[in-house]
Amino acid sequence: MKTISDLLLPLLILLLLLAAGWKRLDVLEGFARGARQGMEVAVRVLPNLAGMLCAIALMRESGLLGLLCHICAPVLTRLGLPAEVAPLVLVRPLSGSASLGMLETLLERFGPDSAVGMTACIVMGSSETIFYTLCVYFSGVKDKRAGYAALCSLTGMLAGVWLAGRLVTGG
Amino acid sequence: MLLSWIWLGMMAASLLYGCLTGRAGALLPAALDGASSAVSLSLRLMAGYLFFCGLMEIMKELRLPEKMARLLRPFLRFVMPTLKGEEARQAVTLNLTANLLGLGNAATPTGIEAVRQMDGEQEHDPRVRHALYMLLILNATGLQLFPTTVLTLRVAAGSADPNAILLPTLACTAFSTLVGAGLGLLCYRLSGRREGRK
Repeated sequence: MKTISDLLLPLLILLLLLAAGWKRLDVLEGFARGARQGMEVAVRVLPNLAGMLCAIALMRESGLLGLLCHICAPVLTRLGLPAEVAPLVLVRPLSGSASLGMLETLLERFGPDSAVGMTACIVMGSSETIFYTLCVYFSGVKDKRAGYAALCSLTGMLAGVWLAGRLVTGG
Repeated sequence: MLLSWIWLGMMAASLLYGCLTGRAGALLPAALDGASSAVSLSLRLMAGYLFFCGLMEIMKELRLPEKMARLLRPFLRFVMPTLKGEEARQAVTLNLTANLLGLGNAATPTGIEAVRQMDGEQEHDPRVRHALYMLLILNATGLQLFPTTVLTLRVAAGSADPNAILLPTLACTAFSTLVGAGLGLLCYRLSGRREGRK
């Protein structure tokens, strides 16, 4: 398993670069153009990230975050998840910055290879900011009823979260 | 706007709770600490974005999204049976492949375009609405093959095995999409029957 996941990205990147070389693309220039866009994204998210990380730090320091985990613990342990990921699961559908901040806080406190860190990473990587996505995609249409879309998406996310707990605790 | 209220709630509740539980002295340092960790986090993110967005640009120049979009067509017929318009289909497949490849910057405009196309088609056939819901579900359940941002943060946090999350994440995102899309199809069948009876 470990060799497969270690090989996956390097091999795909190699394949991509070889294909680009085959097509005689100017790879470095392309890379630099994309990297510039990426850099701008990182700068653009900083103010929002700062707002969210301040709020998260305040919640942690005031003890509110612990209280929240304590309240959510029974539900999460039933799903097979550590209680500490509760805040991440709660904010994940709402805000990308807040969930990034939450993930970073968890990685700092518990380490990336702990059960909490692993679960948090899988939850973060396998889900989306559901409500933000709905808002953005509906911005251009007249009829803004979301119908069953929100409910189905949330249920899907919960199913993914449940599986994340299973995969981490089950080995 | 909703997010503003949530942020306000988080801030105000923490300040109030901290003062009530006698931790008032720790609040200001905590807030500033939060801002400074935002700076270091965005630097770490920037490193990841520089690398992965650079590679993604090469993917785009190879016209990989367009090529993959062709492979998705049979799948599309299955999950969006009510979508008939050719242009809308094109936009949907491009949106889905951009999501799969993690091209967030390309995914959003194609998604909005797809939604707009569907909205136009809806005037002739109200059932297109179900395809629109399906597009939203597929987008909102996170169809990403490689969680590049999470990988970046794991490496920065000094993980002994950063790649360990790749396969589990893929399994979870596939499962959540499967459950979401399955439920969506079920809802479509149920409401379709009801609309048929009228």
